[in-house]
Amino acid sequence: MLTEFGKIFIFILVAILFVLIAFVMAKLVRPSRPTYEKSTIYECGEEPIGSPWVQFNIRFYVVALIFLIFDVEIVLLFPWALSYQDYGFYGFAVGIIFLVVLGIGMAYEWRKGDLEWARPKIQVPVLNNLIKRSEVKSES
Amino acid sequence: MDMTNLSELVGLLTPEISVSLFLVAIVIFDLIFNKDKKILPFIALAGVAVTLFFVVSQYGEIAEPIKSGMITVDKFGLYFKVLILISTVFVIFFTLSSDEIKASADRLGEYYTLMFGMMLGMFMLVTATDLILIYLSLELLSLSSYVLAGFTKLRSRSSEAALKYILYGAVSSGLMLFGISLIYGLTGSTNLYAINDYLLSSNGNVVILALASVMIFAGIGYKISAAPFHFWTPDVYEGAPITITAYLSVASKAAGFAMLVRILYIGYVSVSDATGHWTVIEAFDWQMLLIVISIFTMTLGNFTALWQDNLKRMLAYSSIAHAGYLLLGVLVLSNQGLIAVLIYFFFYMLMNLGAFYIVMLIANKTGSENINEYDGLGYTSPFLGVALTICLISLTGLPPTAGFIGKLYIFIALVDAKMIAVAVIALLNSVVSLYYYVRVLKHMFLTKATETTPVVKASSFEKIVLLALVIPILVFGVYFEPIINFAKNSLAGFGL
Repeated sequence: MLTEFGKIFIFILVAILFVLIAFVMAKLVRPSRPTYEKSTIYECGEEPIGSPWVQFNIRFYVVALIFLIFDVEIVLLFPWALSYQDYGFYGFAVGIIFLVVLGIGMAYEWRKGDLEWARPKIQVPVLNNLIKRSEVKSES
Repeated sequence: MDMTNLSELVGLLTPEISVSLFLVAIVIFDLIFNKDKKILPFIALAGVAVTLFFVVSQYGEIAEPIKSGMITVDKFGLYFKVLILISTVFVIFFTLSSDEIKASADRLGEYYTLMFGMMLGMFMLVTATDLILIYLSLELLSLSSYVLAGFTKLRSRSSEAALKYILYGAVSSGLMLFGISLIYGLTGSTNLYAINDYLLSSNGNVVILALASVMIFAGIGYKISAAPFHFWTPDVYEGAPITITAYLSVASKAAGFAMLVRILYIGYVSVSDATGHWTVIEAFDWQMLLIVISIFTMTLGNFTALWQDNLKRMLAYSSIAHAGYLLLGVLVLSNQGLIAVLIYFFFYMLMNLGAFYIVMLIANKTGSENINEYDGLGYTSPFLGVALTICLISLTGLPPTAGFIGKLYIFIALVDAKMIAVAVIALLNSVVSLYYYVRVLKHMFLTKATETTPVVKASSFEKIVLLALVIPILVFGVYFEPIINFAKNSLAGFGL
């Protein structure tokens, strides 16, 4: 007699076997003639430039964090929106407090400058090969 | 859950709500006065004062423990809240005169915010009687302390400390969560009272119960730095700013012990008779586990401390050893033992904070915590030297100080529970600890001061803070009645 966990175990087993069999069958059946173009990294048809192991700007993580906060906010607000009426004023207040705290978090990020992308430093153009004023005077 | 129930709950949670509101207030003030950080410590102190008011008034109002869903408000938890608040006040004072923190003063807003985050986590931890809430508050406490441990981020030691702390923390809290899930699978509940009902009525699967209990203890053992889970302690204590080290070694440890007592004495207890002796369910032998861990912890802590030349590391190992002594009070399974734990924690807080404060003041001047820097310091800076002497003697547990009273009560509880062998081992451990505490005194007083010996002058503010720690150590060493009564009174309202 199978328990409920036993059924899950069979599912896992089938899932593993399915992938294994597919790979092994493909390996047996397919022709294998690799060329240079075929074995390069696929980059939407473009020729790959440089190594894929590049450093990402740390700011991407800040953006990801901000995104995560609002992602979680949506997840929590949906069930709240459906049921806050059952709890009267307290139910409403709970959601508002949550939003206010989240808003303070947003204000914090804004004020601390995490929303600004690294601004490029303005380079004042400098000319090196100007003719010196004294030289001009002596010629004239 | 209807409206009246909710408003009652709000009444029970006044200390936690006050901490949360001041946490938000600190963030807002930090955002408004972006450059001016002078106001922040005062808001923090005001927050502690207001919270202390709520805690004390709750302590006066509550006679019987009030169980409400996931929390139980009782005097036992409120005692720990008072301890946490007192140590927070001192840590804020320490921060005001810490050079390490001054160097990164532009991030003081985050510092106090995270400190209040830690406080909120600890408050929930000592109140929670539901494994889910216990786990959540443990995470809140841990996450705030990871960041604070790496607060001086330009020093590589500090970053290393934070990384080690988070790695060990992730593993042990993962283990604990797995243990909780096993317990839930076994008993069908995460509430400690419901778990206790189940464990009393049916035997369940003994192997799984043992596995789950050991896993849950991994999470607790990490927080209180008990022996097989202590590896992070020396590195984190050494790398973190000293203010945070002091906070971790006192407040966060206190919260961990409160959690252990709640889980053990509510979840696993089978009989508690009128004489104040408790029996734990037979399916899992908590007492044996705790005896082994406790002896291992204090022996390892004391013997490793012998070789430490860095004062912060030495105090870290000494705090591991003290976790071992404190476990003795928990494992005797009697009210006497629990009272001993409460008393010990109060005195431990005073002497440990004092020792860390003096180490910090000296490190402010010399830039190092190495023991060789202390050569002859007792002659050039007699005030700090004498104060450190009192703290260290109290940590050893010698008579005219409060540390002796704390140890005495633990030994009495042990002897009453007829665990003479354990008591003898603990006593021998104290003798070992005498060596490394007195070694510091030898460097300070038995080495002549030379011209290069630094003169560490404490400002009058620092002297007052230090006296506020050292005088109680001496006073409670002879007049300890009020603390004993406070502890006994608190335990009378333990929420079983």
